[in-house]
Amino acid sequence: MLIAKLREALICFKAGRVTLPYPFAPHDPTPGFRGKITLDPDLCFGCGGCANVCPAGVIQVQDVSQLVRRLEFQWRRCTYCGRCEEVCPEKAITLSQQFETATDSGDDMVMRIDVFMGPCQRCGRCYTPPTPLDRMDRTGFRTGDGGRS
Amino acid sequence: MASVQGVAAQVADAVARRIGRDLRVVSQGPVDTLRLDVAPKALRSATEELVQQRARFLVTVGIDTRSLSADFRILHLFSLDSAHLFVVLECAADANDPHVDSITSVIPGANWSEREYRDAIGVTPDGHPDPRRLLLADDWPEGVFPLRRDFPYDYKPPSVEGVAPRLKEPPEGASVLPIGPFFPVLEEPSYWRLFVEGETVVGCDYRGFYNHRGIEKLGDSVLTYNEIPYLAERICGICGFIHSTCYCQAVEKAAGIEVPRRARYIRTIMLELERIHSHLLWLGIAGHILGFDTVLMQTWRMREPVMWLAEEISGNRKTYGMNTIGGLRRDLPAAVIPKILEVLDEVERESIAVRNAIIGDTTLLARTKSVGILTNEWARQVCVVGPPARGSGVPIDARLDHPYAAYDELPPRLCTQEAGDTWSRVVVRVDELLDSIRQVRDALARLPDGEVLTEVKDEIPPHRIGISVVEAPRGEAVHFVMTGDDNRPYRWRVRAPTYPNLQAMPAMIDHAAIADVPITLGSLDPCFSCTERVEAIDVNTRAVRVYSHKELMAMSRRRGQGGGRR
Amino acid sequence: MKDGPLVTLALAMLNVAVALLLSPLAEGVMRKLKAIVHSRTGPPLTQPYLDLLKLLGKEDLRTTGGLPYTLAPALALGSVLLLATLVPLGTAPPMGFAGDLIVLIYVAATSAVALILTAFASGSPYAAVGGSREMMMLLTVEPVLAIALVVGAVKSGTLSTGGILAWNAEHGPTISMAIAAVALFLALQAQAGKLPFDIPEAEQELMGGPLIEQSGPRLALFRWSLWAKQLVFAVLLVQVFVPWPHVGILAADVVLTLIKALVVLVLVGVIDVVNPRLRIEQAMGYYMRVALSALSALAFAVIGM
Repeated sequence: MLIAKLREALICFKAGRVTLPYPFAPHDPTPGFRGKITLDPDLCFGCGGCANVCPAGVIQVQDVSQLVRRLEFQWRRCTYCGRCEEVCPEKAITLSQQFETATDSGDDMVMRIDVFMGPCQRCGRCYTPPTPLDRMDRTGFRTGDGGRS
Repeated sequence: MASVQGVAAQVADAVARRIGRDLRVVSQGPVDTLRLDVAPKALRSATEELVQQRARFLVTVGIDTRSLSADFRILHLFSLDSAHLFVVLECAADANDPHVDSITSVIPGANWSEREYRDAIGVTPDGHPDPRRLLLADDWPEGVFPLRRDFPYDYKPPSVEGVAPRLKEPPEGASVLPIGPFFPVLEEPSYWRLFVEGETVVGCDYRGFYNHRGIEKLGDSVLTYNEIPYLAERICGICGFIHSTCYCQAVEKAAGIEVPRRARYIRTIMLELERIHSHLLWLGIAGHILGFDTVLMQTWRMREPVMWLAEEISGNRKTYGMNTIGGLRRDLPAAVIPKILEVLDEVERESIAVRNAIIGDTTLLARTKSVGILTNEWARQVCVVGPPARGSGVPIDARLDHPYAAYDELPPRLCTQEAGDTWSRVVVRVDELLDSIRQVRDALARLPDGEVLTEVKDEIPPHRIGISVVEAPRGEAVHFVMTGDDNRPYRWRVRAPTYPNLQAMPAMIDHAAIADVPITLGSLDPCFSCTERVEAIDVNTRAVRVYSHKELMAMSRRRGQGGGRR
Repeated sequence: MKDGPLVTLALAMLNVAVALLLSPLAEGVMRKLKAIVHSRTGPPLTQPYLDLLKLLGKEDLRTTGGLPYTLAPALALGSVLLLATLVPLGTAPPMGFAGDLIVLIYVAATSAVALILTAFASGSPYAAVGGSREMMMLLTVEPVLAIALVVGAVKSGTLSTGGILAWNAEHGPTISMAIAAVALFLALQAQAGKLPFDIPEAEQELMGGPLIEQSGPRLALFRWSLWAKQLVFAVLLVQVFVPWPHVGILAADVVLTLIKALVVLVLVGVIDVVNPRLRIEQAMGYYMRVALSALSALAFAVIGM
């Protein structure tokens, strides 16, 4: 019995102290950790693939007008599965390594991006928008979003 | 050694001989599933015949098939372990007045399954001993059955005041000691009502399913085939990969999808890694229940490297998100394999040290030897699974009985003990832990190259059934899937291992000391969140009905399989 | 030489101060030891002081009324402090008198009685079970204390704790006193409410046992009384049975005693951390065996060893 207790004590002492200093020191998760979603609105062209595959129903897609598609994200429902990242053709939606996502503001949990869809003015179908070079050729072209496109 | 087909034919013949023309249809679902459709009046006889044929009861599935065949269907699932065969005993109930015979008198372990389909689908099992609710809350309205197809998943019934669960009253001279719904030793809410005389338990009653989350309903109404694994892996707080694998396997079986060999090996590796950390977690919990917090701290320290490994392989400590229908979403990166072997070496070294230390610890043995005895006979009658069954000498293991993933090529060692007390269950789990380490090493050494995903290009054919079992650390988990026609299952039934194991609890704590009740419950390694995807567990029924020693003895005798409980 | 009344009062206050102010520190040391064995950093040594401060500021929820219930925490702490004045610290006990041994044994039981009173006065079934367990522990552990002290009385021929201390300091170790010391040390494990004998308060079985319904200042006083009790008993053990080295200067003796008491408590902590909890009947059986073995010490004492 004493031997058993000594053996147990030995296991304990060999291990030393394993308490991590977090949160008093930062802690990096292992690479590949599926953390908070980051969104690059400039890359998104509104295909809605992410909305299609999200198991938690985080993403709602709405055509506000013929020109603008609105994607709304309810981040509180996200389960960090990464399916959106898998299907996005432009890598606009990716998972970061951030895990310190606690917030006391409900507004942080909702995100909305409006994507200019660029459909044809005559038939309404989407088509490839002109490149910056093309746009420089055309004089007087207005886009309505600050001339960034 | 008879082939699966041969045994299936044999069983079908035996049932046919027993009930004659009441055996309506015999069909084979997937190659390892025999389907017997019987007339309602022959259900009990057919069940008796299957029990005679040494079939082990798994679970009952109640399906609302009114849109398919204008009736309700009750499917009792059985397993013929030695033949690697599943037997489905099917029976139809009239859509307007749904009744079937109860089989609880033949198989005590069917008690909860029958209460569950009564609550969920609304089919009444005639002759069932317990009329109380299992699944549904006591203030749920009458006549509203959630798993019927016409019930919307987000319906919120009006709340009712002043309703409490109906529980037994204590016998003469005993007082009530409530354990739960919130109690330090329970991780999830459940209510055990112990009747005690001094320090001895003389009876108990149970109410569970406080955390019913409606998972099966979500599976057949809101989610699609490939979204369900993410829900399945959240059924349980520890065995996530088990449930997602089991579900995927059930669908793959139903649809006839062949999973690539590499994917099957990787599934095996992740399943065994989950078993390793789960058993270490359990050792800690058992220590904590006994007041031995040092064991808790040290075993949980030992399992941390496994969790970090899981995070490195899959991106998350627990919800791996790796499974999908047809295989895996991502491959095992080659760079992580040496890390896995390193972690395994460390865990093995420390686990052996812990095992050698606790074997000689007389205070620990004083608290676990001869405590919470589960007899071999009762374990079989209540259809207990997993380490509690193996600790009582019942040699069942889903990895050997119905080989899945890569277990046909990497069979595990069957770890059994005979005594049936808490100490036996400790020994079984420690043995399994060490064997799992060996298995992961073997799997890594023999890991084949190739694809990890079979792309499913065609639509999955509807109304096919698939039954899959996976040996979770707590026992055998069963998933039943009946495929549907809008990219989701028509019915998804999950039976967690704790479901039958909890039904064995009352017998194990009868005339035990109060101090032994938490460790007895803990030695079953109950996972209430696994169990409570659907409603209540029928411990109450068991308790209400047969909680006195006398009643239990009488029921045993009625069972006709001789002898007392202990 | 009899001290004047002022000196007596000062010494008594010293004992009370030690019991009150140093006992949370002793508890803090035991917690830190537990944390080290658990491979974790653990709370700071001053955590028990912070716990008391926090509890004293919390709401006092009472489940019942009546004078005994209201006074129970004060009774528990007060009886331990009284015990502290009867226990020698460095020299003879300040409130000592001939025959104070008997009084000591009775006062030692009083704080447990206060706990039991509270337990049964609370409406909770957990407290009731905890109270009955505390009673059973009291009945089996008190005899060990009594036997050990009686051995001392037999050897020294006096019924005063101070007398036993003086005799022991002069005569050196003897077999009977050694056995009695070991028995008392084993009893200390239960008196301190430490594993494997923290049965009345078993968190995993009884959600806190007798103290489950206490909150705020009442809980603070109960906890304090438990910590003070373990320190006072440790001091009693080392002073009566291991009074060497005895220097003669009060300050040095007090410091030496406290160091020895701390060593004893560290040993108690070590046993606490490597053991699971026993069942009540197992613990009672154990202490009955200890009591019987302690009777052998009595036999040795009678024959002059």
